[in-house]
Amino acid sequence: MQLLINALIAGSLAALLASGLSLVYGILRVFNLALGQTVLIGGYVAWWLFDGMHLPMLVTILGGIGAGALVSWLTYDVFVKPFYRRHPHLTLVTTIALGMMLDALILLVFEERPRSIQLTWGRTLEFGGMIIGVPQLFLVITTLVLLCLFAFLLHSTAFGRRIRAVAQQDTAAMSLGVDAPSLHRLILIMSGVLAACGGIFIAIDQNLSPTLAFPLTIKAYAAVTAGGMGNVWGTILCAYLIALLEQLVVGVHWFGAFYVPAGFQATVPLLFIIIFLLFKPTGLFLRASRAA
Amino acid sequence: MSILSLSGISLILNGQQILQSVSFDVAEGEVVGLIGPNGSGKTTLFNVLSGFLKPTGGSITLRGKDITGLSPARRARLGIGRVFQNFGIFRDMTLEENVLVALEALPKEQRRSLGNLCAVVASTLAMVGLSDSAKKKAGSLSGGQMRLLEIARTLKSGKELFLLDEPTAGVSPKLTQQVADLIVELKREGKTILIIEHDLPFISRICDRVIVLDIGEVVLEGKPGEVKKQKKLQEIYFGADPTS
Repeated sequence: MQLLINALIAGSLAALLASGLSLVYGILRVFNLALGQTVLIGGYVAWWLFDGMHLPMLVTILGGIGAGALVSWLTYDVFVKPFYRRHPHLTLVTTIALGMMLDALILLVFEERPRSIQLTWGRTLEFGGMIIGVPQLFLVITTLVLLCLFAFLLHSTAFGRRIRAVAQQDTAAMSLGVDAPSLHRLILIMSGVLAACGGIFIAIDQNLSPTLAFPLTIKAYAAVTAGGMGNVWGTILCAYLIALLEQLVVGVHWFGAFYVPAGFQATVPLLFIIIFLLFKPTGLFLRASRAA
Repeated sequence: MSILSLSGISLILNGQQILQSVSFDVAEGEVVGLIGPNGSGKTTLFNVLSGFLKPTGGSITLRGKDITGLSPARRARLGIGRVFQNFGIFRDMTLEENVLVALEALPKEQRRSLGNLCAVVASTLAMVGLSDSAKKKAGSLSGGQMRLLEIARTLKSGKELFLLDEPTAGVSPKLTQQVADLIVELKREGKTILIIEHDLPFISRICDRVIVLDIGEVVLEGKPGEVKKQKKLQEIYFGADPTS
């Protein structure tokens, strides 16, 4: 059961990152490979505001989210918009370049030492043999609330309808008067906000380290690939599934004989990407629609 | 009074001349057919008119206002509506949502003047006999029903100038008549229509004027009956008669 709790915690983080990524891919057909760095910037800025500036937690969270939004704005206007109309694959190169620049910036400003936000309310709860920290419980609940808000926004508001319309047929949506380029920018910023929330999540629950960016991006992409490119809800479900498998791989005493070393945990998302691209590139949740 | 004016529209794409100095006016309430063989530049011209392609030369005015540099969304808000050859509907959204997106994209004042949007949605679907499918995904409709939904949605979102790109393509013969009736209804309501269609009898029946494009140029223009008699039209579609 403890494995399930751990998977829920890890899955919540992956779901936050992957849902935004899936939305961006669904609408712009663009892969933002600087996502992991956006996560870290959100987390590091929150850490700096909390630990360096001694600001209240709420201001810290808002600051981290603001930083993530700002990075995503920059990502769209400088590294995506001028290129994706020419060819969506060009943004693979430009966002990798951005990621490398952000990596260098993070190292320069925040250094290589691990950083984390130490909360005073960090006690743990125990029930039925399972242990969960109060901050972790808070983070899981916050993620679920954010995803519910995300679902409400997407399915029950005019803004969400516009997003879905642009995702399905951007030319038709624009012909109806929907300002798609502004919406594209907003979507990327939304994805950045979710990523920054993930970064703050890491700063509170684990340690921030400059080397985390790439594995985070890979994990989010594994969920997007397995869930079906652009299928947000499939992606979220797969984020939890991957987290569960990661926990099972290293947490189970295999055949009563051995444990898989913890270092192999990071290979699960990579295996997911390889297996799905080889055998089911459409992902698990491809929705069929009647062709006219 | 002309609602739309094209003056010397040219377009070069990848070094190739796609449109060459295309000029014509469309009067308010007029139905103009745009015909020509495949590759003559009809859909490209629609893309230029709706703002998806920027012309390399020339200008477009809508009610006297220069719209050449405006985005597709701005043009739509000024009253240009487009019906796409490959169905411009949102297949994973319900029929209701498909209409709602169009209404919610209207400028604020225009949206307010409509009153209750749900009632407008209901009347739009009723107009094309799709009320019973309101909650269904648009992707479950037949080609003809999709076309009806697309035209009705464009009509109810207050557009004045309609660009219809092969509205009967991919539509069953039974529903083709219904689509044709809907276009006639638009005409009766005084809407201005520019229509691309390969079905010449259909064009002759509903159009006031026909413009023939060939290799990106306007080569013929006139009333449908007159244009049909032109030898040039036969040459464009079937090639020049080697015996003449």
